[in-house]
Amino acid sequence: MALQNEDKLEVGYSSLQPKPKKWVLLMLRLLAFFATAAATVVMGLNKETKTLVVATVGTTLIKATLTAKFQHTPAFVFFVIANGLASIHNLVMIMGDSFGQKLDYKGLRLAMIAILDMMTVALISGGASAAAFMAELGKNGNSHARWNSICDKYKTFCDHGGGALIASFAGLILMLIISVMSIIKLLIKPKPDSTIVVP
Amino acid sequence: MIKPKRLLSLLLRFIAFGTTLAAVILMATSHEKGTFFAVSYEAKYTDTPAFKYFVIANAIVTVYGFLVLFLPPGSPIWRLVLALDLVFIMLLISSISAAMAIAQVGKNGNPRAAWLPVCGQVAKFLQPSNRSFSCWFHCTDNLHYSAALLYLQSP
Repeated sequence: MALQNEDKLEVGYSSLQPKPKKWVLLMLRLLAFFATAAATVVMGLNKETKTLVVATVGTTLIKATLTAKFQHTPAFVFFVIANGLASIHNLVMIMGDSFGQKLDYKGLRLAMIAILDMMTVALISGGASAAAFMAELGKNGNSHARWNSICDKYKTFCDHGGGALIASFAGLILMLIISVMSIIKLLIKPKPDSTIVVP
Repeated sequence: MIKPKRLLSLLLRFIAFGTTLAAVILMATSHEKGTFFAVSYEAKYTDTPAFKYFVIANAIVTVYGFLVLFLPPGSPIWRLVLALDLVFIMLLISSISAAMAIAQVGKNGNPRAAWLPVCGQVAKFLQPSNRSFSCWFHCTDNLHYSAALLYLQSP
């Protein structure tokens, strides 16, 4: 009788415990997915065309069309790819959490989730950082290298790029919190007489 | 004696500390002068905020790596070290990424923005005796060093 009670207590403890955390994690992942997807889309569609009058021949004006696209800068290409991969990662994790609870690989499910989360955090941080410094260069120029700023000419391009960067940084902070939560999940092993209290 | 697992961990952390220290020193002391059509250039790491960020980030991680080397094995602070490892990995990756982005522009230029490549540009022109400043080449070395240490931070 006592043993059965203890078993019930164990099951109750371990099944009750992750539930509030599970919803929080899912919500965070959803938010992070939206943030990184928004960053990818906004930067991916970032394009501005300007026509300048280059010369006047007689009465006809010769115009030059210049475009600013995100593909011109490798840092922005990396930014788009990194955020795209992060969105895919978040999507896969959301699917896995909602529909694939039974999927496991030799008991390493939590470890794999934690490792993948960490790798995604690193990826987003790299992409956001490179794009941030390229954007700063485009906005302020660099007098030492005689590089002029381009943001006064391509204002919409810079604005959209800035918006994508903000979204990506928000996604980065969310991913960091998610990663920390995944690692904490890994460290806590539910025991019946455990003295570790989960906050 | 020291357990082999602890010894390996110490060794990895020492290598990590060494590489970040090397990155900081190389970037901070690379400093080159050149003249280009009677205008003298001096290239230092303080020219670009990206390189300043790189130096500061690597300096922080060097200090952290140094302190962690002396942490006794049974101490409860290792849980904090686990969390801080993650934070510093992120900081390092972001600093490498930023410096590499700017170095790439410095090396290849960006013709659409009328940004001339800074490394080696003078060699193309007809100045006979001038050699352009090549400090931006140093950063690729630094970056390789720092990248190696990321994988070493996890144990």
